[in-house]
Amino acid sequence: MVKKYQNYLSYPIGLFLAILVFSVTLLLLGYDPISALVSIPTGAFGRPNSISETLIRFIPLLLTALAFLIALKARFMNLGVEGQLYIGGLLAYLIGARMEIVPSFIALPLIFIAGFMGGVLWLAIPLIMKTKLGINEIFPTVVMNFIAMFVIAWLTIGPLKDPNTFNPRTPFLPESTWLPLLDPKYRLHVGIFLVVIIALIIYIIMYKTTIGYKIRAVGQNPRASEHGGVNVTRVVITAGLLSGGIAGIAGVLEVFGVHHYLIRGFSPGFGFQGIAVAALGIFHPIGVIFAAFFFAVLQIGGESMQRGAGIPVDIIFIMVAVLVLTVLIVQKWMTTRKSS
Amino acid sequence: MIEFITSILAGGVLLSVTILFVSIGEVYNERAGVINLGLEAIITLGAFVGLWVTFETGDYILGTLAAIVSGAGVGLIHSLTCVKMRVNQLIAGLLILSLAAGLANFLYNIVLKKTVPIVTTLPSIYIPFLSDIPVLGEILFQHNAFVYLAYFLAIVFGLILYKTTLGLKIRAVGENPEACDAAGINVNLIRHLCDIFSGAMAGLAGAYLSLGYLGLYDSGIAGGRGWIAIIVVIFSRWSPYRAILGSLIFGLGYSVAANLIGGGYIPSNWNYLVLIMPYLVALVVIVLFRGTTKAPSALTVPYWRK
Repeated sequence: MVKKYQNYLSYPIGLFLAILVFSVTLLLLGYDPISALVSIPTGAFGRPNSISETLIRFIPLLLTALAFLIALKARFMNLGVEGQLYIGGLLAYLIGARMEIVPSFIALPLIFIAGFMGGVLWLAIPLIMKTKLGINEIFPTVVMNFIAMFVIAWLTIGPLKDPNTFNPRTPFLPESTWLPLLDPKYRLHVGIFLVVIIALIIYIIMYKTTIGYKIRAVGQNPRASEHGGVNVTRVVITAGLLSGGIAGIAGVLEVFGVHHYLIRGFSPGFGFQGIAVAALGIFHPIGVIFAAFFFAVLQIGGESMQRGAGIPVDIIFIMVAVLVLTVLIVQKWMTTRKSS
Repeated sequence: MIEFITSILAGGVLLSVTILFVSIGEVYNERAGVINLGLEAIITLGAFVGLWVTFETGDYILGTLAAIVSGAGVGLIHSLTCVKMRVNQLIAGLLILSLAAGLANFLYNIVLKKTVPIVTTLPSIYIPFLSDIPVLGEILFQHNAFVYLAYFLAIVFGLILYKTTLGLKIRAVGENPEACDAAGINVNLIRHLCDIFSGAMAGLAGAYLSLGYLGLYDSGIAGGRGWIAIIVVIFSRWSPYRAILGSLIFGLGYSVAANLIGGGYIPSNWNYLVLIMPYLVALVVIVLFRGTTKAPSALTVPYWRK
């Protein structure tokens, strides 16, 4: 048995390696790694506005990580979170754009339902292919991402385009559908509370309810669960639909909380980044809250570093990959060392 | 009309090359029991490295070799992570995706501070006599060296896989690693080599995109072809020969889209809808070719002596 603290030991090791890679790269290129490193937390927390931006980034990272992990728990590798996020945002936009005279306490629930359904719809195709035809979900989910991306790109320069701008985007949504801001001076919206609540709900579902128990059982050993009287297909469908729906909600929060219109590429790869977040949070609903926050800090801090010292923000993604790979390797090494 | 069709078919051959390079490597990898989901980003990295080295030295061969080495290096990281350390192959591949793409874009943005790396694309080689055949010559025999190389390698590596002891070992390792180990075959060595090879081929595919096709780098240069290549591997039932056919089908899909857009047959704000086509083809392929044959039994299962 691996003791809990040994899992945590992998984090300082991973962080050390990530910072090492970061520093050596910058040294070789003639930058000052210390000041670059310091500029990351300063950029993420230095001013009230940067804290607001960090929390805004935290929102989609947490949701996409949750979407990925809940499906993974039932052994469904949902690589289509990116596409589900897009279509969730799209469907919610189509509803929201028609809600000009509807009071927001009616409009917003409809918008969230539409977003959830959009994500579900986009996952339904790979899910049906998996459960009815026995097709591995990895490739259909990836292909659906590309289709979603092109659909959004087409709509935002074609049929839904705002004719008064050159940007690939739709007109603004009615203001009554915008998610309320925490403080009118900053962009941070109430979605921040919603995502933490969603994380807690998923924790409760996964660890305190029968359906969560079934999902975990199927993930551990589908064949044994089947023999134990669990309807494996139904469990995979439940987990899959929750996953797609949460991804769709992530799209709603980006469109109605941040942009207030649909714009081409409104997700800069959140769906894929969520996978790394989920891995860093040991695929646990509470763990990913911390992991998503950490990623958000790195990204916003990194963007500020790019503006300041001119170091391309892409180095953050290298750091993150090194960190998570190291964490996974060390954790695996400790498990296997103990068991053999 | 003939010209339009010729242009589509010739474009199909051109656009199949990236997919073919990648799928040859991934056929080997999966035959040995390893899947690398990071190929899309390794193409991107190979494209940048190939372009940059060629730009700096003026030597296309050196640039191509550098791209291959960079791809092999990333393949090695993947194999160390999941063959040696037995981390989940799929998760490791997805992290490789972030690593290699991050590396490519980081380096590109560093280079961009000083200069914009651009090269002229490799010139076409007209095969004597064959290239003079009407229509067919233009479609098949008026391409640059990468194109011929891709088809040549598909056949060579097909032969190696089916006709040599090494090929037999690779296929056996992916089917029954325990038996191979008992027979004295170093299972994980073969898997390491195949994983590195698959990375190297993705790097080569990237070099083709930047040196042989576009002459420049863009963060979206791989354009989904890494993913399509892995789907082609399934379609080809893990055979380098059939990967030729699979790559051509998708190459044609991309080419039809490109020709419709490039020829102005489509209103420009509908371009993106046309670009969906290859992916719809992919979905259909996945459905039609499900279960026609079994994947290597030990695919994604790490091996160690218990």
